[in-house]
Amino acid sequence: MPRLTYNIAMVSDFFFPQPGGVESHIYQLATKLVDRGHKVVVITHAYADRKGIRYLTNGIKVYHVPFAIIYRSATFPTVFSFFPVFRNIMIREQIDIVHGHASLSSLCHEALLHGRTMGLRTVFTDHSLFGFADAASILTNKLLKFILSDVDHVICVSHTSKENTVLRAALDPVMVSVIPNAVVSENFRPRKYPPEPPAPNNGFGNATPAVHHLGPNDPVVIVVISRLFYNKGTDLLTASIPRILENHPNTRFIIAGSGPKSIDLEQMIEQNVLQDKVEMLGSVRHEQVRDVMIRGHIYLHPSLTEAFGTVLVEAASCGLYVVCTAVGGIPEVLPGHMTVFAKPEEDDLVVATGKAISALRANKVRTEKFHDQVKAMYSWDNIAKRTERVYKGIMGDIPEADFYGYDVGNTAAWNGESHSGVRSFALIDRLKRYYGCGVWAGKLFCLCAVIDYLLFVFCEWVFPRDHIDIAADWPRKIYHSDDDD
Amino acid sequence: MAGTGMRQSVVGPYSTLTPAAVLPLDHLTTSPRSSRSHLAPEDAFNAASPPRRSGGFDHSSNNNNNNMKSKFGSRSRSRRRKRNWKKILWVKQSYPDNYTDQTTFLDSLQRNPRLQPYEFWPLVADTTVIVQQVCSVTIFVVCFVGIFTERVSPVAVVGWGSFATFVGWAVWDWWVGQEGEDEVLQRQNSHRSRGAWQPRQDGGSANSTTAPTTPSAASSVTNLGSTERTTSQGNLIAMRSQHGGSVTSLHSNVSHTSRLLDPQDGLRHRPSSPLRRGRATLRLSTIKSASLIYFTILGLSPILKSLTRSTSPDSIWAMSFLLLAINIFFFDYSGGVGVKFPASLSTNAALMASTVLASRLPSTGQVFSLTLFSIEVFGLFPVFRRYARHRSWRYHVTLTVLLTVGAGGGMGLILGEGEMDGLLGVLVRAFIVIVAMGASSWWLIGLQKYKNAMNGPWDQARPIIISRRQWEYD
Repeated sequence: MPRLTYNIAMVSDFFFPQPGGVESHIYQLATKLVDRGHKVVVITHAYADRKGIRYLTNGIKVYHVPFAIIYRSATFPTVFSFFPVFRNIMIREQIDIVHGHASLSSLCHEALLHGRTMGLRTVFTDHSLFGFADAASILTNKLLKFILSDVDHVICVSHTSKENTVLRAALDPVMVSVIPNAVVSENFRPRKYPPEPPAPNNGFGNATPAVHHLGPNDPVVIVVISRLFYNKGTDLLTASIPRILENHPNTRFIIAGSGPKSIDLEQMIEQNVLQDKVEMLGSVRHEQVRDVMIRGHIYLHPSLTEAFGTVLVEAASCGLYVVCTAVGGIPEVLPGHMTVFAKPEEDDLVVATGKAISALRANKVRTEKFHDQVKAMYSWDNIAKRTERVYKGIMGDIPEADFYGYDVGNTAAWNGESHSGVRSFALIDRLKRYYGCGVWAGKLFCLCAVIDYLLFVFCEWVFPRDHIDIAADWPRKIYHSDDDD
Repeated sequence: MAGTGMRQSVVGPYSTLTPAAVLPLDHLTTSPRSSRSHLAPEDAFNAASPPRRSGGFDHSSNNNNNNMKSKFGSRSRSRRRKRNWKKILWVKQSYPDNYTDQTTFLDSLQRNPRLQPYEFWPLVADTTVIVQQVCSVTIFVVCFVGIFTERVSPVAVVGWGSFATFVGWAVWDWWVGQEGEDEVLQRQNSHRSRGAWQPRQDGGSANSTTAPTTPSAASSVTNLGSTERTTSQGNLIAMRSQHGGSVTSLHSNVSHTSRLLDPQDGLRHRPSSPLRRGRATLRLSTIKSASLIYFTILGLSPILKSLTRSTSPDSIWAMSFLLLAINIFFFDYSGGVGVKFPASLSTNAALMASTVLASRLPSTGQVFSLTLFSIEVFGLFPVFRRYARHRSWRYHVTLTVLLTVGAGGGMGLILGEGEMDGLLGVLVRAFIVIVAMGASSWWLIGLQKYKNAMNGPWDQARPIIISRRQWEYD
């Protein structure tokens, strides 16, 4: 039986050339899915002069749709104006699955709505955590509820993120999968790691890297790489550094990153005369992160909120001992022998860092093993495989009972409706789902859905399907080893 | 049916969670869940969600319980029972990615964690601050109408107003003086006890004498005073804030003194001497700035008089209504006594309203009176009210009653004709105030049942930072 492959469209406002976590997530996932024989196109908005279609490595086609950018490279939410172009791309590329990323991307939300109207399966990946209190969150949550009430499946990057999304969008938990981020571990090798994997002819000669002990007089170097914003816990950092240095004089700090809080850090350095102990590098590019990390022994991450914390995995992969605040999804990310957790309190952070320093001084932490362990934990191949399972599930290629974990036939008989996992495309069913979103919002959402449908019918009439050229595909890669579990 | 019971019990008035919310799942799990205080996954749907099956895993009714259990368990439970699911990402677990663990899902969700249920009478008591502000604004408007219709002499308004302000200031000054002395003593005690674990302070400074510290404290007071005087040369708003600022300058003075004094353990005699001197300076500067305000307004009155001559009266009424509404809505009702610039938007709006209203008046004397009166009412009176509330609840209530009577009587007089109308106004006003206080409190308590704050690990953590103070002030 031939392997089932799909045509997938990844939609997000956030994509290269802009750097960032979501961007590289989409790229890495797309690459690995192409390796598995799928066809992937990425749809994003135009960045400066980067308009039209570009090709990336591995035959990923990127559509840069020209749209106005309003805030932090998110497009203006026009709801419907994207539809004609979107429909054109979907038909050209014969897309089966629309996969949107990032809950602050309006392009993604629009694509999911239009995708459902066109009768495509949709998946949404949530990369962030939101509270329920402030006005911005309330608005985003309402919008998310609108979009997700008719999405086929949701992917979250951590269990905490899943709980959050389930609450925010009132979803059925079985519709939400947890698939973490990963790192390209080849890009995050420790300092003394053998540079290239040994040639295949000398067997498994991958010798364990040399154990490097910390001498009694060597300074412990603590690395901090984060954007210097309030929510990254820079205030905690500013308060803790003098105390850590007071307790452990033979310690150095390297801080990379920029942001509004960097002025506080600089002030702290000057007031405590720590210029020779704290080095501030300013912002570093993602490919330089490894070079900064391998200069240190401990990675300190004082963030106040974090859905996953890819940087922690990167740091551990570089062989750093990780000290981090136990917030959001962070406690799920790394095992206990790689991390020291602190409460988001100054005292606790100082204590935890002290603990980490003395553990390193006592050479109790086998940091040289971290790289191989992390490599085994997080790889994009694995992520792509798990994402593929989601695609199979929503396309009906995995039996529903298997995918959703219970007897579906009984449920259907139970309340006369197909269960919430398999979403019917019939407009009336979609309207039913939207209507439940709220007293006023439900009606508004229904209106949007109806207009979207009319727009779809109009497009079908004005730009008939058979007038749209079908794009020629790259030859599909053939993926052989499919070791199930 | 269990499912409906679950839905109804999702949101209770002050409930953390009723056991009923987790009851329907009992037949599925072996562990007793009735003691749990968190939600089941199904509770993520609220009652308003679209009609669908009642839950993820509990669609069985009790009669085919065993049958369903086996079917259900065919996937997620029994077949993969060998290892328990863990909430971690770094190991490959033998569960599908969309597996939802019934026992731990939403374990850390807290609902209304910091809910303090309101009680009726304290709430009613708290509304008095709002009543006071509304009544002050009413009195101001009444005075304006009185002057505008030439029923009241502007000199009488400003005369009584100024007299009341002076009395208020004297009382306030007395209170502040008392307070300051108490505070110095208290701080000394607390600092002495705290000195035990502050290693920096018990060191070398114990030998130093009082002589260098006292003058420095005094000079800091005069410095504060002089800077205030220089800043207060400008507009009227700065004038007002100067008075408000004098409270804080006194406070900072107090804290300054105590901080300078506290290392010297032996120093206990005459802690208030720099304070007294400071207060004398302060009084002097207050009188100076008051006279400055007086003469500035006097000088500005002719200009203010013709300020809005070209604007139609309707716009002025609408605008001043809006501005006074802003004053009421943005007033700092919660502010304590030491707030530096309490609700500057509110005060500025009120002063602008008074300026605009004053420009409608025909004579310079009237303009002057109204402007001065507005500064007294909106700038200085709140300071006094705050202190009165801080000092004693009885003062506060008395003041509220007086203001209500004044506002009601004034309204009656300007709307009606004779003195009986004034009395009627008082009665009507008192009735409205009491009803409004009760009704609004009752309404707020009623609204509490809609409160549904959800907190969990996804919320941004609040960092606890202690030593910031240390490096900021050293």
